[in-house]
Amino acid sequence: MSVRRTLSIARRTFRELRNDKRTLALMFVAPVIAMFVFGIAFSGDVRDVRVVVVNDDKGFRDPGTNITVSISKDIISNLKDDILTLEYVEDVEDGIHRVENGEAYGVIIFPKHFTRDLYKRIRNPSFLKNAIIKVKLDKSNVNVANAIIKNVSDAVIETMRKAGSESPIILDTDNPIYGENAEFMDFFVPGIMSYVVFFLTALLTLITFVGERTSGNLERLLSTPLKEAEIVFGYAIAFSIIGTLQTIILLAIGITVFNIMIVGNIILAFVVIALLAIVSLSLGILLSSLAKREAQAIQFLPFIVLPTFLLAGIFWPLEAIPSWIRPASYLIPPTYSVNACRSVMLRGWGLEKIWTDIAALVGFASVFLIAAIWSLKRKA
Amino acid sequence: MESLPYAIETVNLTKRYGIFTALSRLNLRVEKSVVYGLLGPNGAGKTTLIKLLLGLLKPTEGDAYVLGERMPDKDILSEVGYMPQDTALYLNLTVRQNIELYGEIFGLSKKRITERTEELLGFINLEKWKDELVSNLSGGMKHRVSLACSMVHSPQLLLLDEPTVGIDPELRASFWDYFGLIKEKGVTILLTTHYMDEAARCDKVGLLRQGNLIAEGTPEEIIRISNTKSLEEAFLIFAKRNART
Ligand SMILES: Nc1ncnc2c1ncn2[C@@H]1O[C@H](COP(=O)(O)OP(=O)(O)OP(=O)(O)O)[C@@H](O)[C@H]1O
Ligand SMILES: [Mg+2]
Repeated sequence: MSVRRTLSIARRTFRELRNDKRTLALMFVAPVIAMFVFGIAFSGDVRDVRVVVVNDDKGFRDPGTNITVSISKDIISNLKDDILTLEYVEDVEDGIHRVENGEAYGVIIFPKHFTRDLYKRIRNPSFLKNAIIKVKLDKSNVNVANAIIKNVSDAVIETMRKAGSESPIILDTDNPIYGENAEFMDFFVPGIMSYVVFFLTALLTLITFVGERTSGNLERLLSTPLKEAEIVFGYAIAFSIIGTLQTIILLAIGITVFNIMIVGNIILAFVVIALLAIVSLSLGILLSSLAKREAQAIQFLPFIVLPTFLLAGIFWPLEAIPSWIRPASYLIPPTYSVNACRSVMLRGWGLEKIWTDIAALVGFASVFLIAAIWSLKRKA
Repeated sequence: MESLPYAIETVNLTKRYGIFTALSRLNLRVEKSVVYGLLGPNGAGKTTLIKLLLGLLKPTEGDAYVLGERMPDKDILSEVGYMPQDTALYLNLTVRQNIELYGEIFGLSKKRITERTEELLGFINLEKWKDELVSNLSGGMKHRVSLACSMVHSPQLLLLDEPTVGIDPELRASFWDYFGLIKEKGVTILLTTHYMDEAARCDKVGLLRQGNLIAEGTPEEIIRISNTKSLEEAFLIFAKRNART
């Protein structure tokens, strides 16, 4: 192994990038766009959600004052109209029908004796019947569902606070609330770092390497004293540096724009991402040996993108993945880097606790590097 | 190594792709300090031979020796310059960066790389284009850059696969003058060509056909044996005679 020759390959990659503004932009603008698009799309900053209200509440005539009051109307008036767009229907079936047709995301149902039960309950704690608000949700979009539930419960709390009373109202939702939206970006940034670096590194090495092969440049390189391993390590140096730079950009935006928290030692996260970049570029080189043209190479990309997107725990935790398919998650290298970066950034864990993830990444990197070198050594 | 008589020697060198034989039991010897012209129709096996010599392809049978070393041998490649048939260049690097890259890979000093790059830019007549991206050059210009890349480390042996294709006559003449010049300094050149006037300028030519070396000698010898007036006619005669047998 010659360090000089290895570095000459790494340097060439940077020189090429400097002269090729389009690819340079892809490498450094795409991560930023990905972060904003995914970040905003998933962050749960939900607005203008159509919701149907069925108010069967007859109100309650206070025997003392002889005034009829309706707590349901108070609660409805406390719903935020910039987040929920309300629509009233008479019939529960009608409301559910609208959700089924995709015209609304949920039905809020106040039963006939809502106010009465509430009054009785407040005056006489031994009265056993609870005042219940039923919320029937379209669960296909967790963020929207959460936004509705949060809004209704906020309105309930607000109403009862004004009335000067603790809330005995029960929100009946068949959907549990999970994850506080405010913390989504904290959870998300360590994931998107891995996703962007893994995907872009594989994409760029795959395309570059198919180019090296079809242009004859690879053969020309191999007609010199340059060794296959030196080519692969040259690429590894270049792409781990590029991966680290991409991570720095994502973190800078995460901190300044999205206010994410970083508890642990960020250098550890850089090491993890650099390892992931090496895994990814080896994969790119390996796949390039299967493709005869660049267009063919592009066809391999879904195999890299989709499993990572769905199974690596970037957008939702591994716990939210069906258990029968979870073993597949552990075959995907980004799973480990996502987990390690989250542990470092959110829990402040150190090397002593994330070493299993790092060991897994080192394992993947070694196997893939050796396979990549072997694929270059194979001769017709 | 200097005392070895041959720059290139092959012993029963054979390359088959499946049942197709691209090169058949070739025994070739190229002495040092000569210009050897390899001729033959498309698909004759010229490029295959060169790639076998470089160790880029694995022989099915037989051996290839380059500058006395049995191939494949990575170390001896530092004394060999290869110009591929397709213009293998980095389009996103400038002319100068392409040449310098090979200087770095061959381990030349910074100073030497700068010197050689200037020299070669003069030789290929592209000084004005040195900072232009290769993607912006014409086909012939790219070819010239490719030739320069193969010579940056001043190798003892040059394997040039159709070095003068698409080059204008004036520059082609100056290339041949240059080949003669470095040959005098001890460099061996094996090149492939389809031009008869170039074949006539070689010290020795070999005619390859369907993976077999069907004729070899100095241009004068070839003309004499075949009883013709020109190399072109001679090769047609050899091809016909070979087709019958
Ligand atoms: N990878 C391969 N698989 C199968 N056949 C091959 C392969 N590479 C070359 N060949 C065949 O080997 C033969 C010799 O090819 P080669 O490229 O050496 O010819 P050539 O003499 O250089 O021709 P040209 O003058 O067109 O450059 C051709 O018939 C070609 O089709
Ligand atoms: Mg050829």
